[in-house]
Amino acid sequence: MKTNSYLIAVTSEDLLKLKVKNINFLFPMTGYSVGFYHTFTFEEISVPHSYIFINRILDKETISNLKRDLANLPETIAGICFTDLGILHIVKELNLSVQLIYMQNHNTTNRLSIEYYLEYVDSVLLSTDITEEEMRLILDNVKKPLVVPYFMRADAMYSRRTLLTNYADHFGYPKKTMETLQEEITDQSFFAVENEYGTVLYADKFIDYREFSHENILYYYINPLGLTNSEIEAILNGEEILNTDTGFLHKETYYRLKEEEECL
Amino acid sequence: MNKVELLAPAGDLERLKIAYLYGADAVYCAGKKFGLRANANNFTLDELETATQFAHEHEKKIYVTVNIIFHEKELDGLEDYLKELNRIGVDAIIASDILVIKKVKELHLKLEVHVSTQASILNSEAGLFYKSLGATRLVLAREASIEDIKDIKENTNLELECFIHGAMCTSFSGRCVLSNYCTGRDANRGGCAQICRWTFKIKDHEDVFSMTPKDLNLIEYIKAMIDAGVNSFKVEGRMRGIYYIATVILVYRRIIDAINTNTLTSGEIHYYLDVLNRSANRDSTPQFIHKLPKKEEQYFLGRQELSNQDFLGLVQDYDEIEHIVTLEQRNYFSVGDVVEFFGPNIETFTYKIKEIWDEEGNFIEVANHPKMIVKLRVDVGLTKYDMMRIKVFDKQNYL
Repeated sequence: MKTNSYLIAVTSEDLLKLKVKNINFLFPMTGYSVGFYHTFTFEEISVPHSYIFINRILDKETISNLKRDLANLPETIAGICFTDLGILHIVKELNLSVQLIYMQNHNTTNRLSIEYYLEYVDSVLLSTDITEEEMRLILDNVKKPLVVPYFMRADAMYSRRTLLTNYADHFGYPKKTMETLQEEITDQSFFAVENEYGTVLYADKFIDYREFSHENILYYYINPLGLTNSEIEAILNGEEILNTDTGFLHKETYYRLKEEEECL
Repeated sequence: MNKVELLAPAGDLERLKIAYLYGADAVYCAGKKFGLRANANNFTLDELETATQFAHEHEKKIYVTVNIIFHEKELDGLEDYLKELNRIGVDAIIASDILVIKKVKELHLKLEVHVSTQASILNSEAGLFYKSLGATRLVLAREASIEDIKDIKENTNLELECFIHGAMCTSFSGRCVLSNYCTGRDANRGGCAQICRWTFKIKDHEDVFSMTPKDLNLIEYIKAMIDAGVNSFKVEGRMRGIYYIATVILVYRRIIDAINTNTLTSGEIHYYLDVLNRSANRDSTPQFIHKLPKKEEQYFLGRQELSNQDFLGLVQDYDEIEHIVTLEQRNYFSVGDVVEFFGPNIETFTYKIKEIWDEEGNFIEVANHPKMIVKLRVDVGLTKYDMMRIKVFDKQNYL
């Protein structure tokens, strides 16, 4: 078990019964989050030193509601993890003194951009789109400790569309809010979760970065969507877990087709 | 009413010139580095310089995309590249990574910064954040509603740019790495393999499906968007050819001009809608501007990408004395075909092909070789870069 604290997304009420030290709960917020099938209202959060997760891209109406809710932020809330940069403006306007963690998983891929974000926030979640070498380079060079992926479903796509509902409506199936999608050529699977605010596709295999450690870490982030408490405890106890992957940790992506040819 | 900008894509110099000629006020394009179409031709710095001179000589604007999300290995060379774009005098860069926006200010460059749609801006608070960084324009997320647009305009007073036409991502732009997982190609550095258009299966179901959105088309909402404060109307398609660019830009040029003179009719809108859909060979819908798109705004399966052969010829020259047009053939046509000519300075007109001559002046029945030069007798005056296409829709039937 790591000595630093964990930040764990609360994917079910049952998860709050976890008997683990050094754990901080991150609550996906009702009305403000996507990609979770259980979300929480402010009234439902009673754990001290909790974090709230606001990972929707916010439209006019939603950000207006959020401003109202944040104006009455309960004292149990220690921090806000978010993706929409509009939240920075609200926090400043309301003069809130909470920890801010930027968690836009695809934007935090180099040390310079992260340093710029750190001018406005306390920490950022390092992207799952980069390699171990890139992670170390970033952690070695940025001034504030970062949140790093530990064991999680990595988000691969966020759509405003209700893709599972559209699918069910088109083919005449009963509507579901979770499905596993398999791409036909590559056999790559994605775990889709839909709510009224959109659909998130996660890589179906959990990414397992448990071997990774560094001195400059604020939290190890866990998104255990779909796992039971005993499975989570097993993960934290270092036990081997099935259906995992190391994502792009040891596998660099490319973008020019010529580079691919050269690699081949 | 504020003068609004029609903004066209350009994959190379030829398409850039066609876009301006057919009515674009500005074009956006990419250099060889740091753009999200990494495998397109794109422009060398010399070509960007030529393009910028051409644009400014014609009182047009040019914007360059520097809109990848940077990884460590791309950091080298960014500053030099921005300085070069500044020296060349492009009117703005389009960026999404905070790094690029900050660098422009740190280096004291004169470049304006437009925040890319990759930043997924849907609210004025996010707009104000980018304004505080020095951005002068926001390219809003395609998911923005009219109410979102109005609010952002009122509270930021920044220039707003919105996509009005073309292909869409299934996801919020910039929020998808399906390509990374399926092919190893990084979507946010220009390698997107468009996985959302591939076919999927759901466990235990037989049906295969794609998640492909129909194209975006906001032709019916231009007036409302102008009223909401949109300054720039953007067409997608840096990979598209000159016929598509000419057709789409001319349609929107005419619509904006008709709105400005308060002469746009619903009949014209329907006519233009049919022309646009045929040029893309795909259905299009308004998508998010007025409601959440449902299954009707999506292709699931069974759709084939059959390109039509509507583009018949490109005018090279017109002899005003003999009334002879010289055409470069683009698709098969023959004597007896009913076609139409269109261009930026003429009213589209119908023409029945009675005679065709080849370059040596011999009568021929068909023009069947790609890019062959042929001559036709046409009484209406034409100019270089006017185009001939198959006649499918008759505007008179819509009025």
